[in-house]
Amino acid sequence: MIWSMKTVLKIGFFLGLMLMVSCETNFDYSPYCINFNDNDKDVNLKNIGRIIDHPAHDTIQIAFTGDTHNFFDELELFVEKVNTMDAVDFVIHVGDIADFGLPQQYLWGNSLLSQLKVPYLVTIGNHDLVGNGMEAYMEMFGSLNFSFIYQGIKFVFLNTNSLEFQYNGMVPDLLWLEQQLLPSNEFDSVVFVFHLPPGMGFDPNLEEGFYQTISKNNNVIVAVHGHLHHFEMYYPTIDSIPYVNVYGVEYGMMTTIKIFNKQIYVEEIPF
Amino acid sequence: MLKKFHFNFLIIFLLLGTTSNVSLAQTDLGKWDWLLPGYAKLQFAGGIGFISGGVGYTFVNHRIDASVFYGFVPKAFSVDELHSISVQFTAKLIRVSLSENYQLLPLNFGWYLHHTFGDEYWVKLPPHYPPEYYWWSPGRNAGVFVGGELKTKWLASKTPASGIALYVRAGTRGLYLASKFGNNSIPLSDIIELGFGIAFYR
Repeated sequence: MIWSMKTVLKIGFFLGLMLMVSCETNFDYSPYCINFNDNDKDVNLKNIGRIIDHPAHDTIQIAFTGDTHNFFDELELFVEKVNTMDAVDFVIHVGDIADFGLPQQYLWGNSLLSQLKVPYLVTIGNHDLVGNGMEAYMEMFGSLNFSFIYQGIKFVFLNTNSLEFQYNGMVPDLLWLEQQLLPSNEFDSVVFVFHLPPGMGFDPNLEEGFYQTISKNNNVIVAVHGHLHHFEMYYPTIDSIPYVNVYGVEYGMMTTIKIFNKQIYVEEIPF
Repeated sequence: MLKKFHFNFLIIFLLLGTTSNVSLAQTDLGKWDWLLPGYAKLQFAGGIGFISGGVGYTFVNHRIDASVFYGFVPKAFSVDELHSISVQFTAKLIRVSLSENYQLLPLNFGWYLHHTFGDEYWVKLPPHYPPEYYWWSPGRNAGVFVGGELKTKWLASKTPASGIALYVRAGTRGLYLASKFGNNSIPLSDIIELGFGIAFYR
């Protein structure tokens, strides 16, 4: 058979198509293919930039959600509600944005959160780490542990999903946390965010050190986490640092925290 | 080490495919003939690799195909290089003879199991987790697809292959369906895995 010009053109068309398409098209290569667009990269860092550029005022209000798992429609309702709340300065997702840790679920979660008018930050949850979820998180959001300072308050985000690292003694990274909480003239209080609280899945050998590190410098004004899906405010240490467990998105309730003059005001708001 | 093992697999599959095309039609391998694959396929995308190569058998009067594919995603298209094997069953429900040289199979239904290699893609919940901590397994996913195929006699006179087919398929997998379920905010197109390929029949 002699290949006609038409055949060559047709083959060329398909070869061209193959080179153009990537994982984000319908030509799926694998559920674990990570090939994000620039919009889906360095998301936390870009949003920290947006927060810091934001004009300063004396009250900071943060809207929290998390444990979105497969509740994408509920996450959309959360986004719509926050977009009507003018006082909210930024949003914090306390983890489990990707129920099966799939890159595609990261994309779905971020496509909804990116419709927020205000900046948003996403914490690493245990579900987010299944499969190659850690690579997907790092590609989309960045470092598993991160922090920034805004108006004299340091916001510290810590990976506490010990079981996903087989209780290797390095997660949560208490040395990193201790460094972050060391007093400095750049901040006078700390908002501490993590996904998984001490209990099942948290390295039992690090539990005592975890609480001690948080209480050490007397500067943490609130510790916020998810994982348990229900709302709760509790005081596990004698210095009475408030620990807030944020609602899972499926309850149609968000937790907001207002920070004014080192004081916190916690509210539950339906959406 | 592991990667080398994967590549060896790939080479074996490609060799099997080649053998089935080149030597079988003429050579008499005697009583082991029946073991040789009925076809070799080369597929683009479809959720089982950037490129995947497969071989298989046909049963029940050419109605059912059972195939095994080795697929990979090169680093150019993903943060990690990915290697996987999938086992597929296809039921070819309708066969339309277009001419002496062309046959159309417009309605093929398939079911597949896709196994991704690597420690993080476990099949059985690793022992450090409490029982039933996670209900799914990242290492082995099941999926379904529908497809169509155009069988031709191209190159039949020049090569030992009895014919070449072009096929397309659209599928999805259980994990995507579980995510889509109850979520109108997820576009249906996001859970569809499109693919196409070429088959060489013995």
